Amino acid sequence: MIEPVCCVADRRREKVHQNIKMDLSWKVKDVQMRAVINQKLIETGEKERLKELLRNKLIECGWRDQLKAHCKDVVRRKGIEHVTVDDLVAELTPKGRELVPDDVKKELLQRIKAFLAQQASI
Amino acid sequence: MSFLTLKFPRIAGRIELENCISRPTMSLSGCPHVANFKAVNGSSPYRLILTYFVSCSTQAAVKRKAQSCLCHVCGQLDLRLHSCLYCVFFGCYTAGHIHDHAKATKHNLAVDLTYGAVYCYSCGDYVYDQEFEAIAKEEKTKAAKFVGTPCSVHAFLSWEVTASEAQLLRQNPKRRKITSNSTIGLRGLINLGNTCFMNCIVQALTHTPLLRDFFLADKHHCQMASSDQCLVCEMSRVFQEFYSGLRSVHIPYRLLHLVWTHARHLAGYEQQDAHEFFIAALDVLHRHCKGHNGVSGNNPHLCNCIIDQIFTGGLQSDVTCQSCRGISTTVDPFWDISLDLGPSGSHSKSTLSSSSTSSAPIPNADLSVDSNSSGSSTSSGSVNNGDSGLLSPTGFEDVPTSLDDCLRRFTRPEHLGTNSKIKCSRCHSYQESTKQLTMKKLPLVACFHLKRFEHSNRFRKKISTFIAFPHELDMTPYVSSHRRANGIKNQSHSSTLLSTSDNKYSLFAVVNHHGTIETGHYTCYVRQHKDQWFKCDDALITKSSVQDVLHSEGYLLFYHKRILEYE
Repeated sequence: MIEPVCCVADRRREKVHQNIKMDLSWKVKDVQMRAVINQKLIETGEKERLKELLRNKLIECGWRDQLKAHCKDVVRRKGIEHVTVDDLVAELTPKGRELVPDDVKKELLQRIKAFLAQQASI
Repeated sequence: MSFLTLKFPRIAGRIELENCISRPTMSLSGCPHVANFKAVNGSSPYRLILTYFVSCSTQAAVKRKAQSCLCHVCGQLDLRLHSCLYCVFFGCYTAGHIHDHAKATKHNLAVDLTYGAVYCYSCGDYVYDQEFEAIAKEEKTKAAKFVGTPCSVHAFLSWEVTASEAQLLRQNPKRRKITSNSTIGLRGLINLGNTCFMNCIVQALTHTPLLRDFFLADKHHCQMASSDQCLVCEMSRVFQEFYSGLRSVHIPYRLLHLVWTHARHLAGYEQQDAHEFFIAALDVLHRHCKGHNGVSGNNPHLCNCIIDQIFTGGLQSDVTCQSCRGISTTVDPFWDISLDLGPSGSHSKSTLSSSSTSSAPIPNADLSVDSNSSGSSTSSGSVNNGDSGLLSPTGFEDVPTSLDDCLRRFTRPEHLGTNSKIKCSRCHSYQESTKQLTMKKLPLVACFHLKRFEHSNRFRKKISTFIAFPHELDMTPYVSSHRRANGIKNQSHSSTLLSTSDNKYSLFAVVNHHGTIETGHYTCYVRQHKDQWFKCDDALITKSSVQDVLHSEGYLLFYHKRILEYE
């Protein structure tokens, strides 16, 4: 590890290092937490229900049609022989994320929060 | 990321849906590497991976999936996890761990664990295999049944071309793409002798989105003995004519003849009322739709024919006995809402202003109509005051100037007067009572009829006052549950949340009457492509703007619900 030298720069470096360490421990906890939540979501079938809800909402608001049209554009532009799913994913992911309406995000967030609250109370 | 499940190359491989210039690279037999795999191992490895890690249909499988769906390299769970088809090794796609595995072991097939799609490293893309697809579909259906969302599974499966549809597409090679400036759907109608009352309604009906979808999807299956007597069949033909792309004038003589034979009071060359025609047309269409209502067979009042599905709403009428406060509630179906335009004194509404002795307490008392009102009169009173915009008597005495005014007046509590005492079902005596109409069930298409034609024994005249109507209308204030929620505070917030977001309507057609009560002419504004407006004046169609529409007089206003709920 870092040698203890009484020098301002070193102290600063140490501080940064500590911060990073703290960050890392947070990250580990975060990952664990996510894993637990994910496990719960799957076990209870809530994940499938959420996916279904999201799918319906996205169809309803026209998101799916928009993205489909965009896919077709990409395929037409590149020619069907020169396009892979990876290409489409790369081109469409940012667009797809951007186009999700705030309402839909909010509703899903609310559902997930409600689910977590309900899980925590058990 | 539903685009992963795009059935692009596959559909294109079967038929040329869009005029794809290039031939698809993939043959119908699919990827040779998958074929090799299947020859050696069969399709059971794929099914196993699917049942345990993609579409689970047993509790044990769900548990296993929840615990083991992690990347074997980095432990992450949401970087597009894939499983090796050969050895069930899990690796992230985004971080490349599954790629490393494939390279190291020469296992060239991997299954996407979110959707079940198969990636072939030799082909360098996701591949389609008919057998695998069939397995995936089967397992997905099972899983959906297990989770309990079976109805939507069938509703949102992507369209797969059947043999007969493919045949049809081959026989009709002409394709038409609807662009934002396309005029498909706009056709003038010849006036067959004072038939503008019919033409304007036909224009409004043909531009009703849900009705259009129904007819263009060929959903009408005629139940009549002879199809040329069926008005629904004729409407179907009219829709075909309207959306055929032809720009010439259409001559609706068959339609007129059918209307004459089925609604005798409209026969002849006299001028007729467009509203009367609209109701008559819906009635005949509804009658000719009979046979569609399979589900609702147990309930004779509830028909699920397309007309009732789209146009029928439920009007709740609460009659409150003034002595015992008992409420008797009835719900009646309606196709349209007729709104009074005259001053309150002139019509049935006169009862409220005339009975001045009791009129003062009415506005407050009436609103606490809910069953617990007498006990908690103070609390409900304060709530009502907060909602004074809706209920205060001010403005009701005046002539309404907007659609909202009219609707407010329509749904306010109304004193039935001393002359019309009704027997109360609770205290079994004849008492004065108040009556309030609210919307129990909102229709998908709301038609408002502004009563511009006044027929009284003293005079007949047309009321030409300007009534402002909005482009977008929120019906929430007029819904029964909302009115009741005002009195009952313990309503869960979810119901209010629903009612605020889901009762928005947008204007899509306006019928106008020009002239006097004796003689005049009807025209219709219709909306196309979300925000383009056109004025239909019999055979003549001109481009118009939303301002023109909103500044027109308005006789029949057609609003379409913006968000449709699943049933």
